[in-house]
Amino acid sequence: MRTFKQSCHAACLALATVLLLASGSAYGQGEPETLPDWSGVWQMIGGTVFDRATVEGEGGATTPGLREHPPYNDEWEAIYERNLALRDQGLFPDPLSNCGLPIGFPRIMNVPDVYEFAVTPKQVWILTENGPNILRIFTDGRDLPAPEDRWPTFNGVSVGQWEGDTLVFRTVSAKGSMDGDAIIDRTGLVLSNQLEAITRMRKIDDELIEAQMTIEDPAALTAPWQVTKQYRKLPEGTFVYDYACAENNRNPVDRETGRTLTLGPNGEVLGETN
Amino acid sequence: MNTSPNSTHFIDLAAVGLVLASLAMAPAAQPAFGHHAGAAWDREQVQELQGTIKEFQFTNPHTWIQLNVENADGTVEEWSIEWGSPNSLSRRGIRPSTFPPGVEATMRINPMKSGDKAGGFVGAKFGDGTVVGRWED
Repeated sequence: MRTFKQSCHAACLALATVLLLASGSAYGQGEPETLPDWSGVWQMIGGTVFDRATVEGEGGATTPGLREHPPYNDEWEAIYERNLALRDQGLFPDPLSNCGLPIGFPRIMNVPDVYEFAVTPKQVWILTENGPNILRIFTDGRDLPAPEDRWPTFNGVSVGQWEGDTLVFRTVSAKGSMDGDAIIDRTGLVLSNQLEAITRMRKIDDELIEAQMTIEDPAALTAPWQVTKQYRKLPEGTFVYDYACAENNRNPVDRETGRTLTLGPNGEVLGETN
Repeated sequence: MNTSPNSTHFIDLAAVGLVLASLAMAPAAQPAFGHHAGAAWDREQVQELQGTIKEFQFTNPHTWIQLNVENADGTVEEWSIEWGSPNSLSRRGIRPSTFPPGVEATMRINPMKSGDKAGGFVGAKFGDGTVVGRWED
């Protein structure tokens, strides 16, 4: 028969455990006592030109003449210039235009429509309505997989930790332009599958989340490339909708020419002779 | 160090997990955005069309208004007018019912450079004066 002291001890231990669990304290190494509240629906500020700090020219990513200035080496500057020339002719193919591929990192930080940032104790999920796409950032204290245990994928692998209210994560093993699968924006920005990035994300205030990326790519860049993206909170109650690219895609890319086609109401290609 | 989430976070995880499960089951629906680079449209030109709405395709990745336009000789031609994604338009108050089939409207478009019967949506005006999109008299 248990004594009162034993019963009290067990009950008190159970109560202490419940209180500890309920307190939400100490989720993992380096994490704050209370995870930041990034709830709500957010929209990237500005158009889809990835690096607005180095942009040259007026307009959007598809406007002829507009370009950015990553610290490309000569070889990749030449690749970018070829892409820009194709863009100016309307012949730079966006892999997304045929529906079916993830957008890839770092472009996932650069999409229209809306974002959600789901902060959970062991992972942060960046969810984009467009696509939809998911970037998983593991914050449970794990290390990156060993090099032999990872391979190039669209979003690569992201592992990070909390430094106060700032999420700091490293992304490796993204495909880049390997296989022609992923671009960064429609000016023709691309990187190799050797790209790696450190991203620092934090909530500046109730209306603004900022992501500062430092991207390195020994194959394509001569120096770290720093790009900042910001996301503005939309009104409470904003809905996030289904997004089904293949539902009614009347703008597929012609893989032979790179031209984005326009399909008529019966699926016929318009402007073929243009 | 306690690494266990509290019950509230379990609920959050379950809820978000359901969302992710839903995304995973979405039909072959991966990306694509701002699909049309707009290279096909002549942004310097605005063409006005008068016609009868055949259909408003309120679908991803872009919406399309199908407009039947009657020519002077009585023949009817179907025009395809592209607009934004239903997701972004819906947050601006646009609904599938914004362009009801059978209703007459005047539409302004950036016409296709090739001269085909298609263009990018600029604005529309209905008989009662209601305007959708950009319309400057």
